[in-house]
Amino acid sequence: MPSIDPCRPAALGALLAVAGLLAVVRPSTAADGEAPPSARSRAPWFEEVTAAAGVARPHRNRSFDNPYAHIMEGYTALGASAAVADFDGDGRDDLFVTDSAADGRNRLYRNRGDLTFEDVAEAAGVAAGNDAKNASANALWLDYDGDGRRDLYVVRFGQSLLYRNLGDGTFRDVTAAAGLTARLNSIVAVAFDYDRDGDLDLFVGNYFPPVDLFDPATPRFFPESFETAANGGGLTLWRNRGDGTFEDATRAAGLAGHTGWTLDLGHADADGDGDDDLYVAADFGTDRYFVNDGDGTFTDATESAIGIDTKKGMNADWGDFDGDGRFDVYVTNITDEYMREGNFLWRNDGDGTFTDVAQETGTWDTGWGWGGKFFDYDNDGWLDLYVVNGWVSAGDENYVLDIFELIVRPDVDLADARNWPPMGEKTLSGYQRSKLFHNLGGSLFRDEAARHGVDSILDGRGVAVADFDDDGRLDLFVANANAPPHLWRNVSPAAHWVELVLEGRRSNRDAIGAVVRLTAGGRERASFVNGGNGFAGQSSRRVHFGLGGETTIERLEVRWPSGGRQVFEGLAADEIYRLVEGGRPELQTRGAGAADGDEETAGHGSGLERGPGDEGDLGARSRSAVTPPRG
Amino acid sequence: MTRRLHPDPAVAAAFLLSLICSPAFGLAAASPAPPEPPADVRAARAALAAGEHARALKAYERAVRAAPGELRWSAEYRQAAIAAEAYDRSIALFEELVDDHPGSAAVRLNLGYAFVDKIPSAGAVTQVILADRALGHFSKAIELEPSWLALYTRGNSYVFWPAIFGRTRKGIADLERAVELEPKESPAPFHAHAWIALGDAHWRLGDLDAARAIWRRGLDRFPDNPALEERLGREGEALDRLLDEHYAIGKRVDTSLEELWER
Repeated sequence: MPSIDPCRPAALGALLAVAGLLAVVRPSTAADGEAPPSARSRAPWFEEVTAAAGVARPHRNRSFDNPYAHIMEGYTALGASAAVADFDGDGRDDLFVTDSAADGRNRLYRNRGDLTFEDVAEAAGVAAGNDAKNASANALWLDYDGDGRRDLYVVRFGQSLLYRNLGDGTFRDVTAAAGLTARLNSIVAVAFDYDRDGDLDLFVGNYFPPVDLFDPATPRFFPESFETAANGGGLTLWRNRGDGTFEDATRAAGLAGHTGWTLDLGHADADGDGDDDLYVAADFGTDRYFVNDGDGTFTDATESAIGIDTKKGMNADWGDFDGDGRFDVYVTNITDEYMREGNFLWRNDGDGTFTDVAQETGTWDTGWGWGGKFFDYDNDGWLDLYVVNGWVSAGDENYVLDIFELIVRPDVDLADARNWPPMGEKTLSGYQRSKLFHNLGGSLFRDEAARHGVDSILDGRGVAVADFDDDGRLDLFVANANAPPHLWRNVSPAAHWVELVLEGRRSNRDAIGAVVRLTAGGRERASFVNGGNGFAGQSSRRVHFGLGGETTIERLEVRWPSGGRQVFEGLAADEIYRLVEGGRPELQTRGAGAADGDEETAGHGSGLERGPGDEGDLGARSRSAVTPPRG
Repeated sequence: MTRRLHPDPAVAAAFLLSLICSPAFGLAAASPAPPEPPADVRAARAALAAGEHARALKAYERAVRAAPGELRWSAEYRQAAIAAEAYDRSIALFEELVDDHPGSAAVRLNLGYAFVDKIPSAGAVTQVILADRALGHFSKAIELEPSWLALYTRGNSYVFWPAIFGRTRKGIADLERAVELEPKESPAPFHAHAWIALGDAHWRLGDLDAARAIWRRGLDRFPDNPALEERLGREGEALDRLLDEHYAIGKRVDTSLEELWER
């Protein structure tokens, strides 16, 4: 836990900020008739409901039967993941969870609305993600065909799968029809409309090079370096042609230069120019930051924006942690007794560069970090962080000594898997406690994981954040490698909130990339609809804001991916709103979805501000002040 | 020409692998009178003062080649190489000198120091490789001449390694030997470093009682030593914080050997 030196100006500022924050929150919660904060604060704010919810089936790692099995099982202790989306359109967030064992079945947990789930994967036709040549590694929901139903991309070591949601509770494998049959040994995917043509494109991060991992033709498929490896799978951009098929646009978009060991991808409009930029977290080498040029290409701005690192990037989640209106990035690396890389918290400086503030914010050390997610668990209006960690928790012997022997061996060929020592039952950075970093006003975080009972020592991989019970408090689902998951229900004291479900019309249907700026109590907060950021965990696409003691949203501005803007005023807190591009806000009945008849308009909505050349009646009324969309 | 390390521990140079971070820290005891700098060293200093690093390095290299066993000019050269981020150049020079002067403990030490100098510029894994290579050369120096400096250098290096690597006890053994080599009467202030590192090694192993006992014995011999006083004045997390910071992996450590010739 980071220490606070009250004599330091920064710490003093943070403490004052906290004091100010409490002053805002307390009167409101007392007015709500809740118990005094002092009494409530003693109880944990998360309760484990994994078994009761029916989602406790464990993940299992893949075993291998090839000459490299001695290292492969430990090395691929990945594949535990979770992806959240409302796949059946009932307004509740559901959950897809992967297994990786050869006979493992993936789970599609349908949310019944009472914080229990039923596994409908078999009936839906999405359970079969593992076989002799493929192992499930991750998953992503995306509405690739814009029909309003979330489709499912199952990321695999081997060949990934695309399932089209047929709208009747079943899915059809359309991988081949969509042109996505390449064997890429992928570990992550995110979707956003990089070329702003109105459909979602698929960015896939590949870990291994494209060999058959289950029967490799060569032993040289391991990273060639611990710090500068460029022989990984890189990334692949599948451009959505808009007709149900994709084309490989990696080279055309300027992304082919990254050939490292990708572990995570994260997108956000970092420079505020209306299109989404891309952060690539890479194992065994340099993370990459690609600026979207707005013309279908990206520029590799790594050196000028973040510099060249030699760390083990494993997570890329974007969020405005410091409340300056710009999106920042959180990246996990390896920090243990034997290696002190430290995480990155890249503060967006607003001039195309980022400054790592992980040390001074107290988010530097999370052990062998994996998924890390920004979310406001206490609804105080500041983004907190939950970070899971640990590589392999096994026996008493420590594998780091074997790795040490490997790396100091003169002229060793690291790319040759035969040179890697067997892992057996040894532990490497195991039994590490997850971190729940409470944001103390934008400049300092304090670990509250133990206090709130979420300091798991399982080998966490992915974190999916969602308000599964529609109570305005964000719950956590954690996918653990070779272990059962955690579902933690958020039972924090009442504070105000709002959730927004955006739907594009001219923009991509899921409004991925839409930026929302909300003002309440005189303070502006920024968020966006994200298309799967964060390692091995896709959170809800709902945009959630904690409002503290504020009951009214003074102003809500949406900048749609199409470039259009809408402003809404006077919305009430503690509601889930459906915002359709060009329309008025509609209340989404809790747990009943956005179906016709469940909606009513609310607040003082505005029509769409459109740019020159925009045609069609998209909103109730347009404003004269026009912000032209780019592109 | 190879110049051997001075056999008398009382005039042996101190290697500050630990940082001299306190302005109060200084050498009061007598050190051997510094040799008159040769022309190349004077030229190198002048070039450095003028900000001409390339010229300075060339001049220093001539001086080091002319007197490879002279620690002072080698140390000055390495500091200039650090300033110019010419780590590989420094390593290459001392590797060449090791080939040319295989019996020189001083050259071996310098090669080890050159690897240490590069550590802060490297990634976390390369740091391990560099530190391991430095240790190899420090060991060779001890084989050639088990001086206080060589033993302290290797012992202190071991203390930098996290305990999980099992090297801390080797560090204790080296540092205990270094302490034994310390002159019984009128030790130089730099000899306190072996006591500090020896106590730190016990702290590294979690034996705080042993660490404090060593630090106290050190303070008895070196009254007012600020590093020993600071350690003995801290408890619990405050002590851990101090030493964690002190032994942070990847942090630049002072290999300037300035305490050898400062008065």
